[in-house]
Amino acid sequence: MIILCKNCNYIFETEVKFCSQCGQAVVKNVSSTKLKKVATIIGFYVAMLVYMLLVYYVETTFPNNLEAEIIVVIGFACIVLGFASFDLKPVLQLYNNKAIKFKHIVFAVITPVVTSFVVYFFIGFINSLVAEGASVNYFQEYLYLDYPLFWATFFIALMPAVIEELAFRGVLFNALKEVTTTRLTIIATAFLFAVIHFSIFSFLWIFPFGLLLGFLRSRYNTLWLGMIIHFIHNFIILMIDYYNFYNY
Amino acid sequence: MEVSQSIILQSECKHCETPVKEDHSFCSECGFPLKGSDQDVAKFYAKRVMDKRKTNNAHEKIKAARKTLFIIAAIITVFGFFIYYKTQDLVPLTINLVVSVVYVVLGVWSKQRPLIALILGLLLYLTLIIITAIADPLTLVAGILWKILIIGYLAKGIYSASSINKVA
Repeated sequence: MIILCKNCNYIFETEVKFCSQCGQAVVKNVSSTKLKKVATIIGFYVAMLVYMLLVYYVETTFPNNLEAEIIVVIGFACIVLGFASFDLKPVLQLYNNKAIKFKHIVFAVITPVVTSFVVYFFIGFINSLVAEGASVNYFQEYLYLDYPLFWATFFIALMPAVIEELAFRGVLFNALKEVTTTRLTIIATAFLFAVIHFSIFSFLWIFPFGLLLGFLRSRYNTLWLGMIIHFIHNFIILMIDYYNFYNY
Repeated sequence: MEVSQSIILQSECKHCETPVKEDHSFCSECGFPLKGSDQDVAKFYAKRVMDKRKTNNAHEKIKAARKTLFIIAAIITVFGFFIYYKTQDLVPLTINLVVSVVYVVLGVWSKQRPLIALILGLLLYLTLIIITAIADPLTLVAGILWKILIIGYLAKGIYSASSINKVA
């Protein structure tokens, strides 16, 4: 290992804490980079939070409006891509598929089948306990459009899988990993992923779901598995709503 | 004879007793000015005192932020019961109690992992403000001084926790 003193450019072959020539602290100033990362984490989350508030007002002002919905999705994607561009290289590396083998794909297809049904029955159980917890039918929300199933799949399953994975398992994960351990990063991203869904009841299943996605991200260094699981999970929930809508 | 004596004199740092090489002007372990004047040595000790004070100050701010987490837990609990007595509805009480338990857990956890616990505490607090603002925009300005104080204490704690070089 070769260490260079930034003050006088003297080269050391072993690790030193202070430069023996000029007395400057050689240990890389961890705290200033750490502070920057912490600022990125907080800034990114707050940007998403404020955007959610904005989205709420857009949706109440323009209900059943395809243009408004598309603009909302593009806006969210812009925020995430904007923050991703600060440190683009590690984010791009997450779109590799080198570590993925056939068995992982099988796992990524079977897991969401289990999770989506567990979540569906869990929500049903909660709704039977609490009247106010009544959930929306995701399919029904898009009936105002010509191809409701297509648009519902686009807005409910495809976009969240792509953008949320990049946001939480990509940008947020990378930033947190620089200030803390991998284990804590998985827990923290899952926590924030669950909190930003704005529902105390769904927290109970989104948190473990986030832990699983975070674990896969750290183990295989790819976003693809998370995206597949997230997409299939949301798609099955949507399909159950679709089935319920036409049968009940 | 004189030369060898000076090597012996310089072979150990006066401050931390780490063996040092003859051509070194500063100790590579603690930064002590081996060949410096008395003034340089005085400067070295002054800087150490300053650094130590800075770290102590940081620990105090982290402590204050930890207390803030517990205060948030208490406020949320009180509000939960307040709403319950007004509406006799168990749902908001349960939600408030769950959230305050989360804050107590974060508060306890912040002893070992101050940085990450305080970040999560702050972001959860901001989320709660936004959620209540969606339900009723007027809550945004209600108790705004309190909110600024709480955010300020947590932010100071986070700043201090990230400026001390310790794994979060």
